[in-house]
Amino acid sequence: MADDVSSGYTLVVCEKPDAARRVADALSDGAPSSAMIEGVQTFRFRRGAEELVVCAAQGHVYAVSDPFAERSVYPVFDVEWYDYGLVEKEAMGAARRIASIKKLAGGATKFVNACDYDVEGETIGFNILRYACGGKESEARRAKFSTLTKDELLEAFRAAEVPPSHGMADAGRTRHLVDFVWGVNLSRALSQSAVGSGHRYRTVSVGRVQGPTLGFVVEREGEIRSFVPRPYWTVRGIFEKDGERLLAAYSKDRLGRKTDAEKVKAECSGREGTVSSVVKSVSEVMPPAPFNIGDLQKEAYRAFGYSPSRTMQIAERLYLDVLISYPRTSSQRLPPSIDCRKIMRGLASSKEYSMHAERLLAGSLRPAQGVKDDPAHPAIHPTGEKPRRPLGAQEARLYDLVVKRFLSTFAPPAKRENVSVDVSLNGHLFKLGGRRTVYQGWLEYYAPYSKSADVDIPRISEGDRLRVLAVDVEEKFESKPPRYNQSSLLEKMELEGIGTKATRADMIATLVDRGYMAGESLTASELGFSVVETMKLYAPEIISTGLTRSVEERLEKIEEGTESQKELVRETVRSISNQLIMLNQNEEQVGREIDFAVSASVADRYVIGACPVCKTGKLRIIRSKKTGKRFVGCTNYPSGCRASAPLPQRGTVKVTQKSCQHCSWPVVYVIAGRAPWRLCVNPNCPSKAGKKRGV
Amino acid sequence: MACRLCERQAADDFCRYHGDAKARVESAYSSWSEAYGSMSWADYLEAVVKNVETGEWAAEVAGMMLSEARAQNRP
Repeated sequence: MADDVSSGYTLVVCEKPDAARRVADALSDGAPSSAMIEGVQTFRFRRGAEELVVCAAQGHVYAVSDPFAERSVYPVFDVEWYDYGLVEKEAMGAARRIASIKKLAGGATKFVNACDYDVEGETIGFNILRYACGGKESEARRAKFSTLTKDELLEAFRAAEVPPSHGMADAGRTRHLVDFVWGVNLSRALSQSAVGSGHRYRTVSVGRVQGPTLGFVVEREGEIRSFVPRPYWTVRGIFEKDGERLLAAYSKDRLGRKTDAEKVKAECSGREGTVSSVVKSVSEVMPPAPFNIGDLQKEAYRAFGYSPSRTMQIAERLYLDVLISYPRTSSQRLPPSIDCRKIMRGLASSKEYSMHAERLLAGSLRPAQGVKDDPAHPAIHPTGEKPRRPLGAQEARLYDLVVKRFLSTFAPPAKRENVSVDVSLNGHLFKLGGRRTVYQGWLEYYAPYSKSADVDIPRISEGDRLRVLAVDVEEKFESKPPRYNQSSLLEKMELEGIGTKATRADMIATLVDRGYMAGESLTASELGFSVVETMKLYAPEIISTGLTRSVEERLEKIEEGTESQKELVRETVRSISNQLIMLNQNEEQVGREIDFAVSASVADRYVIGACPVCKTGKLRIIRSKKTGKRFVGCTNYPSGCRASAPLPQRGTVKVTQKSCQHCSWPVVYVIAGRAPWRLCVNPNCPSKAGKKRGV
Repeated sequence: MACRLCERQAADDFCRYHGDAKARVESAYSSWSEAYGSMSWADYLEAVVKNVETGEWAAEVAGMMLSEARAQNRP
C-alpha cells in the first residue's frame, strides 16, 4: 500500500526511522503494517480502540537560514526556519520526510511527539508539529523515554501528556537562531574582507562555540611553540638489602642547580642508609560512577582511541538497537525508577557477563552514583536485551565498555595496601614505596578497562641498614605543555561550560574538517591562528569564553521559562553589529591576514614535522616535477639542508604530528588498502636496521 | 612590515609570536646560567636551539640570535 492515507488516527512523530520502527513494534497489538508515504516508510497499527500511524524525521528537517543565502550579503538578521533540504543540498531527504509528514498530518486527529527527550529532540519535534502538521505543537502529547525497550515505550505512551510549556524547544530554537546569526555574519564578514582588500575570495568560517574552542587550541599551541625549557636534575639512590636492589627517589623531586645534585651524590655515594620510617596503610578505591556522555567519550578515547564524535555515533546506534539507554545525557546517576535487577537478569543470561551479573544479583543492588544529574535522562546503562544482529567490532567494544561500567558500579570497593618508606642517609632523605591490590572488588568487574597500579612492595623494616650501590644524577629539562587531544579538548569545553553535551564532539570534528587544527594531538594550523588573532583584535567577543558561557546560561533560563527569547536575540544582534563595524573598519588588515593564513594553511597540510637534521627547517611532502613521485624534503633545502626520505607512492599519507621514538624523525600514517600503518619516514631509522638485514 | 622570521605582519622586527618567543628566550637565560653555575650567552642559545623540548618559534628566534652573537663574536 503506497500513499494511501485515511483519517482519524493518532500521528506519532519520531526523530529517526529506527526509533519509529521500535515504537511501532512496541505499541502495536499485532504486527504493524508498513506503508510508503511520499517515498518514506511509515507504520500503521491498532492499539485497543485507537489507530496510530508512526512517522519519522531524520534528525533536523528544518533549519535556520536567511532569505538571501548569498555569501556576499551581510549583515543578515532577518532569519527564519526553512525546510532543511532548501538550506543544505545534502539534506534533500528532508523534503521527502516533510512531504510525508504533511500528508499524514492532514488525516490525523491527535498528535504525539516521540522525538528524543532533550533540547535537540524537542526542537525537531516542535518544528515538525508547527510547520509540517499545521500548528499542532501546543496540542500534541509528549512521550518521554530513555530506552527503546517495549516496557518503557508502553509506559511512556500511557503517561504521555500535553506539556504545560515548551521551554526546551524554545531554548533549542533560540540556540539555533543565535548561532546562525553569529556564524553567518562573522563568516561572511571575514570571507569578504579578503575580496574587499583586493585578494582572492577565501571561505573562512567562525561561530559562537567554534571561536572559544579554537581559542583553547591556539593558546596552547602558542605556549608550545614559544616554550623554552629550563634544566633541572633528579637524583636516584640504588640500595641493596639481602641481595635485593631497591630504587629510591631523592626527597626533592627536582634540583634546580647542577652543583646541588652533584653535592647529594658526593655526600651519599659509598655509604649506608638507614630505614627511618615504614608507613603501611590500606585504602579503599571506590567504584566509578555510571557513564554520562562526556565520561563515555573520554573513556572510549582512552581505551580504544575513538574520537568523541565516533563514540557518539556508535552509542546512538546501540541506543536505536535497544542495547543501551539514551546516550546524550549529563547524568552520572541511576535513579531508583530504573529496574536494575531486571537489567542485571538480562545480562546474566549472556555468556560474557553471566558470572559477574549472577554474583551481583545475589546481593542488594546499590549503584555508585556520581555528582552530575540530568532531569531528562539517567546515566547511560545497558537495557539487558540481547543484540538482535551481530555487532560490528567497534559497536561490540563500546557495548562491552558500557556493560562493564554498569556492572562495576554495583560492585564493592577495591582495597589497596600502600607502603611508604623513608631512608636517611648522611643528612639526606630518600623515599621508596609500593602498593598492591589486596581485594579486587569492582576492578575485577571493569577489567580490562581498570588500570593496574600495583608497584612491588619492598620487604624492609624500620632500622634496616641499606648499602648504597650507586647514586644516579640525571639532567632533565622541563617538558612542553601537552597538546589537546579530542578527549582532553572535550573535557576543557565541559569545564569552561562551552557548547552542550550533544554538540561538543561535532564542534571539534568541524574545526578539524575546516582545517583549523589537525592531528591526533590537535595542532592549530596557520589558518586557526589567524582566525583567532583576527577575532582577538577586531571581534574579541566571539572568542571569549565569557560570551559563550553567558549565552549557555541564558539558554538554560529560557528552558526554565525565566528569560525571554526575544531579549537574547536582541542582544545578539546588537553585539554582532558592533563586531561587524570593527571588522569592516579594518577590512584591509583583516583581509591581508586571512589571505596570508589561507595560503600558509594550504602549505601547512604538507608539513609532516620538524627537520631532525638542521633543527630549524620543516620536513614536508614534495612531489618531484621531474618524476612525479612524492618524497620528503626539508624546507631549508635552499640553505643547504639535504634531509630527505622516500615515501610510499600509493595510498594517502596523513600527518600525525608524532616523532619516532628511535630517531625522532616524523611518523606518518599511510592509508593504502585495508591495513593502514604508521611509518617512520627516516630510511635509516634504527628500528628498521634488523629488517634491512633480514633478521 | 614583515617579521624577520616569518611573513606575518610585525610592528617592529618580529611578529607578536616571535616577539613573545624572543622575550621568553631572553628571560630563561638567567635560569640556565644559575642552573649550570655559569654559561655564556652563545652556549646558552646553542643549547636552547638543540634542545628537543624547545618550541619551534623559540628555536627560530634563538637560532637567529645565535647567528648574530657569533657574527658579533659575543661570548
